[in-house]
Formats: sequence, C-alpha cells, structure tokens
Amino acid sequence: MAMIEVEQLTKKYRDRVAIDALSFTIDEGSIVGFLGPNGAGKSTTMKILTGFMPATRGKARVAGFDIFEQPLEAKRKIGYLPETPPLYPELTVRGYLKFVAELKGVPRKSIASEIDRVASVTGVTSELDRLTGTLSKGYRQRVGIAQALLGDPALLILDEPTEGLDPRQRKEVLELIKSFAGKHTVVLSTHILAEVKAICQKVLIIHRGKIVANDSMEALTKGKETGLEDTFIQLTAE
Amino acid sequence: MRNTLAIAKKELAVYLTTPWAWVVFTGMAFISSFFFIASLLSFKQVQDTARQIPGGWAQLPPDYQAFRNLTDGVVLNLFGVILVVTLFAAPFLSMRLLAEERRQKTFELLMTTPTRAIDIVLGKYLGAVGIVVATLSVTLVFPLILTVLGSSESGTALEWTTVWLGYLALVLWGATCMAIGLFISSLTESQMVAAVITFAVSMVWMLIRAIAPNAEEPTRSILSYLSFDWQLQNLLKGVMDLKPIVFFSSVIAFFLLLTHRSIEARRWT
Repeated sequence: MAMIEVEQLTKKYRDRVAIDALSFTIDEGSIVGFLGPNGAGKSTTMKILTGFMPATRGKARVAGFDIFEQPLEAKRKIGYLPETPPLYPELTVRGYLKFVAELKGVPRKSIASEIDRVASVTGVTSELDRLTGTLSKGYRQRVGIAQALLGDPALLILDEPTEGLDPRQRKEVLELIKSFAGKHTVVLSTHILAEVKAICQKVLIIHRGKIVANDSMEALTKGKETGLEDTFIQLTAE
Repeated sequence: MRNTLAIAKKELAVYLTTPWAWVVFTGMAFISSFFFIASLLSFKQVQDTARQIPGGWAQLPPDYQAFRNLTDGVVLNLFGVILVVTLFAAPFLSMRLLAEERRQKTFELLMTTPTRAIDIVLGKYLGAVGIVVATLSVTLVFPLILTVLGSSESGTALEWTTVWLGYLALVLWGATCMAIGLFISSLTESQMVAAVITFAVSMVWMLIRAIAPNAEEPTRSILSYLSFDWQLQNLLKGVMDLKPIVFFSSVIAFFLLLTHRSIEARRWT
C-alpha cells in the first residue's frame, strides 16, 4: 500500500517556484532518502506533506487521507522533525514530551509509558528532567526525534535528522532510523550521501523543484562504490 | 478541547518558569502597595479633619465625601491605579504568545500535530487570561488587609460586592488587553514590536474619550462609547452594568477571530 501519494504538487512563493509538479508515491514500511542540493525544495515538500503549509496546486495524500481535505486524520499518522528541533527552552524534556503527547492525542493513561518508550529509544532517558534549553545540540536533535516518535505514527518525516551531530551521534541516529524499517515508513532529507547509502532502500532526488531520480538504491549506484555521488552530481548539474 | 487545555497549561508553565511573570507580579505589587499606602494616609487625614471640625462631614467639600468609608475612599482609588498598571503590564505578558512560537520554530510543531487553529487561539488565550487574573489577584491582598484590620460604624469594613464588581471590571480590561496583544503577537516575530504596538493600541483605546469633547455629534458619542474608560466607569464604581460585559466580550471575540485568521493566513504566504 502507498503511504504517501503525491500528484502534480506545486508550490510558488509569489513568483518563485519552489517545487514544480512533483508526482511520486512512497510505499508503506520503506525508508526513503530525499536528496537534493540546498534550496532544491526538500523542506518545502516536507512542510506540505506534514500539513504545515498548503500547496499552490496538486494533491498530497498520507495514509489515504488528503492532507488538505482531511488534515487532522492525516496529521495523526505523521511524526515530523522539522529542520530546527521545535523545542521550548523553558520546559523540561519530560514536560515537553508530555505536551506533544497531549497535542497528538495519546491516551492520558499511556502518556507516561509512551514518554519512557521514546526516551529510551532515542537515548534521552537520563536527560528527562533537564530543561530543553540547556541541552547540547545532539540531545536537542534526539529530543526532536523522540517527539516525532510519540504516538507511534505510521509515517516519520525527518528533515535533516543528523544535522549538527558529531560522528558518533550521527551513527547512533542512523542506526535508530534503520531499526524503524518495516515498522514505520521513513522519509528523511539530507545532503550527506553516505548516510543515505547506509540506510535507505529508495532514493528520490529533486533539483530546482523537479524530480530528477526516483529509484531503488541499487539502480542509482549501479553497483559502484561512488555510484550515488556520480549519479547525484550528474543529475543536479546546471 | 484537550489540545486547548494542553496549550493553556503549557503557556502557564512557560510564564512561571521565565522571569517575566514574576517581574510583572512584583511590579504590580510594588506600585499598587505604594498607592494603597498613599490613599490610606489621605483617608486617615480626611477622617481626622471630619472629626475635628464642628458640623463634621456636612461641612466638608463634596470631593471629600468619598472618604467616608474605606470602600470608596481607598479601594476604588486603588482600582484606578491597578487599571493603569495592567495597561502597562499586559503588553509584556502578551508579546511572546505567538511571536515566540514563530521565532523558536515551534509554530511548526503546533501546526503539524492534529491541532486546529482554533485550539491554538483558545489555548493561548486561556493561558494569557490565566496569567492576567493571577497578576490582578496579587492586589487582592489590599482589600483583605482592610477587611481584617479595618472597622466601620455600620457593619463590615468593606462592601465586598463593590470590590468584586471592581475586579470584574479589571479582569475584563486585562482580558481585552491580552486579546489585542495575542492578535498583534501573531503578526510579528519580534516580541519588542508586539509589546510596543499592543501598548499603543490599548493606550489609545483607553484614552480615546479625551478627544471626544472636541468632536461634534455624533462622532462624540461614538468616541465616548468606544473608549474603555467610559465603558468601565460604572463597574469600577461598584454599579452592576451589563453593557461593558457585552462590549468587552465582543472586542475579545473580534480579536480572537482576527488571530485565527492571521494564523491561517500565515500558512499561505
């Protein structure tokens, strides 16, 4: 079954076309790398898919729900990590996760256990009672991921989840995402190709708002070690 | 509904962990206690004068008649001061409501969870009203002091009905300032800009009556009707009046509607 169906999706910021008639589908349970040079329209696409902003034209469906017509139903299926982890520095990690769990409609009785679950999965259990404002960048990013996992959404949309992490944290986060395979559908954007190679089964490359590749990892690397880099550079050339 | 309450609770938690709310509470306590003591002193002075001169109260000018009892002489004076302090305090409390969400990028979180725009507006507003009520209730200590320590020849030291009606007026005024502030906070990312504009709008709206006498009818009546201090005058004197309740509820509803529109509109740009 398709988790995400996108048809002719277009977004214009006044005269500037950010994404231009994108069409693609993403299957349930797969981990998809969403690639493109800076300013290609990755974040815009993600913001539309999560219902944060409406598209100028076209349709997007998440788990069968049109994100514009049935936003609440669609949003219940989505866990989203924006480019900047959306934290309130005045709240403790626990208070913050509780707030997000309430917004997501996690049943009152299971909020505490749900917080413990996502905290242990993302490794922030020891930091639960610290103020999010005092956390290091790595922990902030993890709390951002923990927040996305609350309520066990079918679809995770992660905008540059490894941005700003040190190599060890990067590896941990990637392994965490890899472990979601089969349980969650994951769409992650990044411009670090090695990460994509390590964990994604499918790759979507966009350039100047248009899809230039939508294929499995094997097809894009063509069996070579530097295959993905070569393809990427070739496809996103001027 | 649950999301509304979750947002309201979060707002209060953030208010009470940042220094802002405490600064405002302290400011309110400091300024109003200053004026409380001042009006107590003049109250005592007038009372003494009334006792010393032959003929008593009847001989004193009408201005002094208010000092015959504690409610009119002290508490009602104090309400005027609290009203002005609220005018200054509300912009500082409301400025961060939506501007801060935008600056911290947490607005994206609110909009991508299954939360409707109306939940965000009502939740934010509920939290805002909560903090204004908390600020105003700091001043409840003064009527309480008078009740405990004061005395009167005729029954209780204070007429609490009058006091409560005064507080109703103050809460209406504070809640209105917060609704204006919430809307203005939704228009900008800068808290300073939000605070200054909110202050300017509430100040002008409050003092609009000052320019009314120079205007011609029907402008004059319209201006006085729209001015907050004209609307509040009866309640502040302890006279029950439904008109200001309807008036302020409409102003609040109007600004909440504008906030809702502004949140929705922001998504389209």
